[in-house]
Amino acid sequence: MTKIITAFTLFICSLLSAQTQFEQGMGKAFELWKEGKNAEASAMFERIAAADKTSYLPNYYVALINTTAVFTEKDKTKIDLLLTKAQDALDKEIIKDQNNAELYILQALIYTGYVVADPMTNGMKYSGKVMEAYAKAKAIDPNNPRAVFGEADYQLGGAKWTGVDTKPLCVQVDKAIELFGTFKPETQFSPKWGLERALEAQKNCKK
Amino acid sequence: MKTKLLFTISFLFLTIFIFAQTTISGKVVDQKGKPVTGANIYIDGTYDGATSSETGDFSFETTSTGNQFIVISFLLYETFKKEIDVTNFKDQTVKLRENVNALDAVVITAGTLESGDKARVSVLKPLDIVTTAGSAGNIIAALQTLPGTQTVGEDGRLFVRGGEASETQTFVDGIRVAQPYGATTNNLPTRGRFSPFLFSGIAFSTGGYSAEYGEALSSVLLLNTQDEPDMNKTDIALMTVGLGLGNTQKWKKSSLSVNTAYINLAPYQAVIPQNVDWNSPYQSLSGETVYRYHFTNGIFKLYAAFDASKFDLNQKNINFEDKVRTDLNNNNFYLNASYKGTFGTGWQLTSGIGYGYSVNKIKYDVNDVDNDENAAQLKLKLRKSVSDYFKLSFGADYFITKFNENFDNNGNIQTSNGYDSNIAAFYTEGDILFSKNLAAKVGLRLSNNSLLNETNIAPRASIAYKISKSSQFSFAYGDFTQTPVVDYIKYSKYHQFESEKARHYILNYQFTKPGQTFRAEAYYKDYSNLVQYDTRDIAYNSVFNNNGSGYAKGLDLFWRDSNLYKNLEYWISYSYIDSERQYKNFPTMATPSFIGNHSLSIVTKYFITDWKSQIGFTNSYSSGRPYNDPNQTQFMNGKTKSYNSLSFNWAYLLTTQKILYFSVSNILGSQNVFGYDYAKLPDANGVYQRQAVVPTADRFFFLGFFWTISKNKNDNQLKNL
Repeated sequence: MTKIITAFTLFICSLLSAQTQFEQGMGKAFELWKEGKNAEASAMFERIAAADKTSYLPNYYVALINTTAVFTEKDKTKIDLLLTKAQDALDKEIIKDQNNAELYILQALIYTGYVVADPMTNGMKYSGKVMEAYAKAKAIDPNNPRAVFGEADYQLGGAKWTGVDTKPLCVQVDKAIELFGTFKPETQFSPKWGLERALEAQKNCKK
Repeated sequence: MKTKLLFTISFLFLTIFIFAQTTISGKVVDQKGKPVTGANIYIDGTYDGATSSETGDFSFETTSTGNQFIVISFLLYETFKKEIDVTNFKDQTVKLRENVNALDAVVITAGTLESGDKARVSVLKPLDIVTTAGSAGNIIAALQTLPGTQTVGEDGRLFVRGGEASETQTFVDGIRVAQPYGATTNNLPTRGRFSPFLFSGIAFSTGGYSAEYGEALSSVLLLNTQDEPDMNKTDIALMTVGLGLGNTQKWKKSSLSVNTAYINLAPYQAVIPQNVDWNSPYQSLSGETVYRYHFTNGIFKLYAAFDASKFDLNQKNINFEDKVRTDLNNNNFYLNASYKGTFGTGWQLTSGIGYGYSVNKIKYDVNDVDNDENAAQLKLKLRKSVSDYFKLSFGADYFITKFNENFDNNGNIQTSNGYDSNIAAFYTEGDILFSKNLAAKVGLRLSNNSLLNETNIAPRASIAYKISKSSQFSFAYGDFTQTPVVDYIKYSKYHQFESEKARHYILNYQFTKPGQTFRAEAYYKDYSNLVQYDTRDIAYNSVFNNNGSGYAKGLDLFWRDSNLYKNLEYWISYSYIDSERQYKNFPTMATPSFIGNHSLSIVTKYFITDWKSQIGFTNSYSSGRPYNDPNQTQFMNGKTKSYNSLSFNWAYLLTTQKILYFSVSNILGSQNVFGYDYAKLPDANGVYQRQAVVPTADRFFFLGFFWTISKNKNDNQLKNL
């Protein structure tokens, strides 16, 4: 009997510890990211992704960290490397699940990275792809605030070049902010970013 | 009891064992022993790991035991994976091997100017074809702003490094296009048949190209159609020269793009003074379509183009008192089907078939010339990636050409000439990467021509060495052969002709930084076996031989920069060439009339955000070209004045999807002279009279309105202009 109980406890323990290990690892990675240690955070997420193939989140964050790094990266030669790395990580998850709006939003963001890096070369080529990716995300989850905001924000960013009417886009930004208010992330680590940028965009709209 | 004790002990032991921490430490270095910072080191399948420090050192603790796999990954390097005993891995130095697939690996650049998505260093961006002032959407005109090309305004085709226009071959998706230019005659410039809109990549080689391509003495132009269009859309164009309509449909695995255009130059010819009399303006109706289907491991593409054009004009001719009438009708059809896919491990297959059909009906004065050409190519290419360091490709080509021409002077002469030519070719080529800094390509092409009854072996080799992060040297060598042009071989009897030959030596230096590219290329070309004839014009009774020869040597410089001033992009091309030939009916070695020693192009583009406008200027200059004056004893002794043309364009975004586009060429109205035509016979005073060869009009202007209808409101036709 004792044996059975011990074995059972052991089993539960290992189960629990496994779960906390994921949480601990993710927690640690987020900490690194917050501290601005992008490379370390990305590496930590990569390790989690290699060890735990059930969750899409580690690879998602590898892609997100490397993509957002592009927007502040000054060394242009690194941009391709960062975006390639982001795309590789994202591809691993898109292959597993084509029904996750967050993955398409991130895809749109990667394409946006190419546009920002060299608008003259990539603007035309990737604009359609950015819009297509947001459209896919919205088809899966029409109330995802990041999809609604991202789509509007991308067009607002190009407005000074394209001369597009910003009014309906600003309405979308307002709608996204509302959606951010009601959005409930699935787990504690699920994507929930974007509100701050949306508020920023709203401010610009009111100017 | 005993067992219980044993269990407890072993359990305790096990627990300790499980949670025992072992330290793993070491240093990560590259092949030169320099520390690698930021590498991700971990035990596979666990969360235990670290990132290497600035000195390349790492240290972390793991709870795993026994034999495990350690993984070290970093973007620029090949991932290192090795089975280790965790208790025994301390202070180890791991050398990472450079990933030769990384973007900054050396590529052979001698002779090649690339544009498009896949190009590592783009000298032209896709948009450039259409936003370069003076190009008016003509791929060929945009390429003429690159070094190594000659501006031959009365012809319009690509003349590369002292070579005739026919020495350049055009390929679409790897398949040759037998008739790449619109039909024309008598010093009227032609333009490329292809709309830039359907192509995503262009590689323009001015020499030393791969053994995959044959039947070209000077240059190859490789156009690749898009694998995937952006989205469903409809494009409408209203222009002062005609109308255009395009539509793209995208499905899950396939897509279809169709473009049609009707061009009529009547309004333009009415506004701008013309140097010739038009009986009927230049008109053309053309259509292009691309269908693509994506398989799991490959892509099938079908490209078809149809083009019907005609014009009728009266031109002054020094040999006749009255103007001479030319009436031309051309119909052209081109079809190209290709498949590209992967199979097995590291195998890539490319196969395709191309077919071109061209019919010309030309009335020149009282003469009727009708000709038609059927040309086909079959191609199969296999490429095996043996490793990241060695790739082998081999393939076969089969070209079939049937040409027939009927001449009737509506009097006493009626002749018919033609030929059938079949060329079978095999080639093989190896790509070797010795390191990230040193690469070589060695190839061989073997071809057999049934019409000439000859077999040729053409070796090709090139090597590239990267001397620093941003600069590299390449060298290319190659032998090239080409069947003599139709003007000669239509008179071929009993395998009388031989292939013309050229040998290229090219030394290239390239410097690149984000937003900046500099190229310098020196070359030497040796021509042999060129066709010569003994009459004034090529005719059925000419006596031909293959004893001609020649050379071309020169220096090409290119500088492109987008960092100088915000929203400004510009490039400068300069070419110096020294070339002489003894071919055709030349009595001695002389510089052919299409060569000017110095060429300079300056292209600028400036985006004015407040005006929602892009403004561009292009200035093309070339020094005078030689011409032969029969009044002088020395052959080809004359030289025209230099050529200059300043062009301007302005694209204005009305709204995102509506663009107004305006362009005008030769703003300054320079009176350019391309050469002189001399009378066949001297006049009463024994002097040969002459007439200048000038453009059909000094200026070209264009105004267009372009409208895109799609769900994505950001797309527009800026790229089509």
